[in-house]
Amino acid sequence: MASTLDDLRRVIRRIEAARPPRPAPEPVERLVGGEVVETGSGPLVVVRREFALAHRHGGQALEDALAAPLPLLARLARVEGALEAADRLLFLDTETTGLAGGTGTYAFLVGAAHVEGGRLVVVQHFMRDFDEEPALLAALEPLLAQAAGVVTFNGAGFDLPLLETRFVLARRRWPASLPHLDLLRPARRVWAGWLDDCRLATLERAVLGVDRAVDVPGSLIPALYFDYLRSRRAAPLARVFAHNRDDVLSLVGLVGWLGRALEGQAGLRGPELLGMGRLWEHEDPDRAAACYRAALAAGLPDPLAHWVRLRLARWEKRAARWEAACALWEAASAYARFDPRPWEELAKFHEHRSGDLAAARAVAERALAEARSAGAALRVLDALACRVARLERRLTRGLAP
Amino acid sequence: MIQLRMLGEILDDLLISAVTGPCITATRHFPARAAVTVPFPAGLDPRIADALRARGIDALYSHQALAWERVERGEHVVVVTPTASGKTLCYNLPVLQALVRAPEARVLYLFPTKALAQDQLAELEALAKALPELRMSTYDGDTPQDARRAVRARANLVLTNPDMLHSGILPHHTKWANLFQNLRYVVVDELHAYRGVFGSHLANVVRRLARICAHYGSTPQFILASATIANPGELASRITGQAVVELTESGAPRGEKTFVCYNPPVVNRELGIRAPYLGEAAALALRFLREKIPTIVFAQSRLATEVLLTTIKQGVADRTGDSSIVRGYRGGYLPTRRRAVERELRAGDALGVVSTSALELGVDIGHLDVAVLAGYPGTIASLWQQAGRAGRRSDRSAAVLVATSAPLDQFMVTHPDYLFGTPPEHARINPDNPFILVNHLKCAAFELPIGEEERFGALEVRRWLAALEDEGVLHRTGGRYHWASETYPADHVSLRTVTTDNFLVIDTTARDAREVKKRQIIAEVDWSSAFATIYPKAIYLVESEPYEVQELHFREDEEKVAYVKRVDVDYFTDAITARGVWILRRLDGREGEALLAEQGEVLVAEKVVGFKKIKLGTLENVGSGEVELPQQERQTTAVWLTVPPAVLERVSPSREALVDGLRGVSYLLHHLAPIFLLCDVRDLGAWLGDTTPVAAGVVATRESAARRFVQAEEFRPTIYLYDVHAGGIGLAERLFEVLPDLLRHARQTLEACPCAAGCPSCVGPVNEVGRRAKPIAARLLALLAA
Repeated sequence: MASTLDDLRRVIRRIEAARPPRPAPEPVERLVGGEVVETGSGPLVVVRREFALAHRHGGQALEDALAAPLPLLARLARVEGALEAADRLLFLDTETTGLAGGTGTYAFLVGAAHVEGGRLVVVQHFMRDFDEEPALLAALEPLLAQAAGVVTFNGAGFDLPLLETRFVLARRRWPASLPHLDLLRPARRVWAGWLDDCRLATLERAVLGVDRAVDVPGSLIPALYFDYLRSRRAAPLARVFAHNRDDVLSLVGLVGWLGRALEGQAGLRGPELLGMGRLWEHEDPDRAAACYRAALAAGLPDPLAHWVRLRLARWEKRAARWEAACALWEAASAYARFDPRPWEELAKFHEHRSGDLAAARAVAERALAEARSAGAALRVLDALACRVARLERRLTRGLAP
Repeated sequence: MIQLRMLGEILDDLLISAVTGPCITATRHFPARAAVTVPFPAGLDPRIADALRARGIDALYSHQALAWERVERGEHVVVVTPTASGKTLCYNLPVLQALVRAPEARVLYLFPTKALAQDQLAELEALAKALPELRMSTYDGDTPQDARRAVRARANLVLTNPDMLHSGILPHHTKWANLFQNLRYVVVDELHAYRGVFGSHLANVVRRLARICAHYGSTPQFILASATIANPGELASRITGQAVVELTESGAPRGEKTFVCYNPPVVNRELGIRAPYLGEAAALALRFLREKIPTIVFAQSRLATEVLLTTIKQGVADRTGDSSIVRGYRGGYLPTRRRAVERELRAGDALGVVSTSALELGVDIGHLDVAVLAGYPGTIASLWQQAGRAGRRSDRSAAVLVATSAPLDQFMVTHPDYLFGTPPEHARINPDNPFILVNHLKCAAFELPIGEEERFGALEVRRWLAALEDEGVLHRTGGRYHWASETYPADHVSLRTVTTDNFLVIDTTARDAREVKKRQIIAEVDWSSAFATIYPKAIYLVESEPYEVQELHFREDEEKVAYVKRVDVDYFTDAITARGVWILRRLDGREGEALLAEQGEVLVAEKVVGFKKIKLGTLENVGSGEVELPQQERQTTAVWLTVPPAVLERVSPSREALVDGLRGVSYLLHHLAPIFLLCDVRDLGAWLGDTTPVAAGVVATRESAARRFVQAEEFRPTIYLYDVHAGGIGLAERLFEVLPDLLRHARQTLEACPCAAGCPSCVGPVNEVGRRAKPIAARLLALLAA
């Protein structure tokens, strides 16, 4: 019996030796300059940083966001509900355990910025393990309750539904009626045409001039957190905190940038003016047209210039400013890649407006020749040939327009 | 009335005729039975009673009233009654009552297919006109994204399927919080459909559902409905994890039914060849169709469906000139085409339909008088389901079972007492199958963290959770296991054997310049059967119209599409598949003098390498072609049998003869195993493998494998009988247990077979297995079964 017991003890010792105890947690709060806060629903790591409003995030002063015409921006971004001033907004960004959505995706780090006492305060909430989620949600609740609105980037599609899921799971009330400004919408209008993509990181670099020296790619963040959960080594997480803080500051920066661009066009580059034109279109066509004209004047790369000319010509045509429209179509017809649209518009103008059938035929014939040498689609060639033939008939019959 | 007399006359003719009479091996009559009705229960809301009366229902059948009573008592209930006995009212009645009385109550209906949910929706809509409290909606893959939010917010009765519950609802349960807080009933219709893999999955989905309901504080009551199986109560209990009351006494009326077993005549006694069963089945169906008697023909495969349809359409056209009164129906047809066929059958515009088991489920196709079963459907339960499709409301109906040459069919039609006397199978599920269970544990953890001590259903799962933590997908903290991965686990679990990745079949026949953009999708084919059915140059039949496959796009980065062209040919194609089976892990073994039997995990590889062209009608081989397609592999469980070399040498000195004999044994074992396993013959695969190093990892066709056996230095053949479902559903383990019985049964069957040198009913057709197969197989079995 004794030997059996001894055997058992030996086995147990061997098992214990093979499985070393979990390493003692490296205190993440010290590493990222935060502290452990008791929330009433458990402890939580909170990192608080204050920035002077004059602080520049890249090239963008944070205070510009406070001066931004919020009601206008909200209308352009199709916000439901009223947004008055930026000083009661909550700028929100989450780092999550994945992009899959659903109830098994957690927001483990939530950064939130708001204005307090003349400074911008960025508060980051971090759960050191899944059991600290109640504390994280408890800490967010008053922030959301005090805010007049939330600003995010792609929050409508991702961050907010995810947080709502977490709130409902924890049986907390989610403030569903809080006005929400999702900057992805205006950003798409402004930058979709000329930037490679509309990711926040791209805008930061190209628009705000932020240079993240050692940024961590967003796609690696879930894995870094899982590694931390298992190993408790917090050092790699420092970069995730910095990434999240930069994202939140960029939200403030983007609101500032858009605010300035809406107030006046000074200092904007051609493609940015074009983008502002697109943003204005639904609100104020005249402002949009003005932006387009300014964009052309400031200089645009070829495909963008072509697009703007056609767009602008449409406004001019609608306003019956034929001279301006024709000038734009003329310019557009010289575009390096054959495009039948300006040719057709010119031919239609000569045929139906100025009544100059010969000029119309000349345009159509030139267009047909260009189309042939460009190897245009059969459908296009057909349409042009039809047009030439019809004009031919009308000319020989000598009919008036 | 004329028609009914005709049906009796045709049956009499069949029996008396010198041609068909001898083919009929058995006839059974089932007498008519009158309805047992009772008044509406006193507690039924008067508005529901009025709505029912408005639809012509003035009383309940006794089983409907009984179901009402037991459900009212708060019991979980499974109703088991024949087709067309009004079982939907058994669950609709208490559900309507709950929704009319309690505006906040919610109900979930689960159907195995989307079509059945649509059927039920239509039925409920008719009632809902009088009951405005009823707000029902389907929620499945066809529900547009922008309509989903409205369904979640508004519907108090949601009709869906297990797949959607698994991947679309449970992982997003917070969006459904209102439903889960107030879930009063969960209705599971067509319970018998949840056998094997599907049922094992469903039981786990219900375990997950129960966790979510507990989280929101609801405890729904289950109402289930099933066709006749041996163990409805047991199956219902295993799936719901609750004690379920079984109600089996039907009060619905039943017409008289005649059941006939038909064995096609032997046309070549020496080769043991019988007249092709498809031709016989078509001829029988035509006898009824020509007299305008509505008839359904069940075929056992998609190809058989098309071949039968072609023959029957021709026969109908010869007589009436209009072949459109006979339609085809099978999985793979587009939903719109299937709905159209259902509609035509209900309206009587179509007189006949040729279908796979797809029409076995309760899709509403109205009134049919005769069911012709072309081949034994594989299980007794399916046999009665298919036979029950005839005579739903008519006074007299008939079912004819036409046997194929397969051993199982021959056994059934020559042992009618077994056929008619054996109770329907037990529907077996194995919710604790490790492959299935672990996947659902992942999904469960994704949905809600799992407590360290928590049970999954009634199952103790601590060691599984610990294993998943070791794998790194779960993370334990604060006494709970949390999902700790970026993935969405439900996406990686399909509840059915077929994968969700379907091929579209696109007709390019009518394309010209103007129609370049128009996509004529004529069918869908699931991934697992695509390579064997729509390889380039294959003839693909849709409602008996032949299309030739021009291109097949299957690479990962492209859309899965087959481009086909309508052609005019008189043949169809049959794929030639190269196969390989290799042992991964041995789990159990028994060694006797003449046989080493083992069981464990194997890798099965399949590759379609070519095809044969087979003439429609005569079924002659009229050509062949080659195909270049990738190899498909899966891990599964198997039993394998190895005969020691010394024993083999004693049986025969010739390797060729031994290969033939072993293949004969393998054929026989494969085809008889379903009797012991209560599964379909297609749930198992059989292969004579080669365990020499030369053969490792190399697939081979029957011919090339035979050559290799003869030429190789070593001779180490092994018979594999494997579960075709990836991961296995417990068939191999059971097969290993019953192996001695199976071997004895095989020996008796072979010794009793009257053919001269092998036939489809014993070792396989002689022109495939060779003349030596039967005697060698007999000597082998005498040793193996000893």
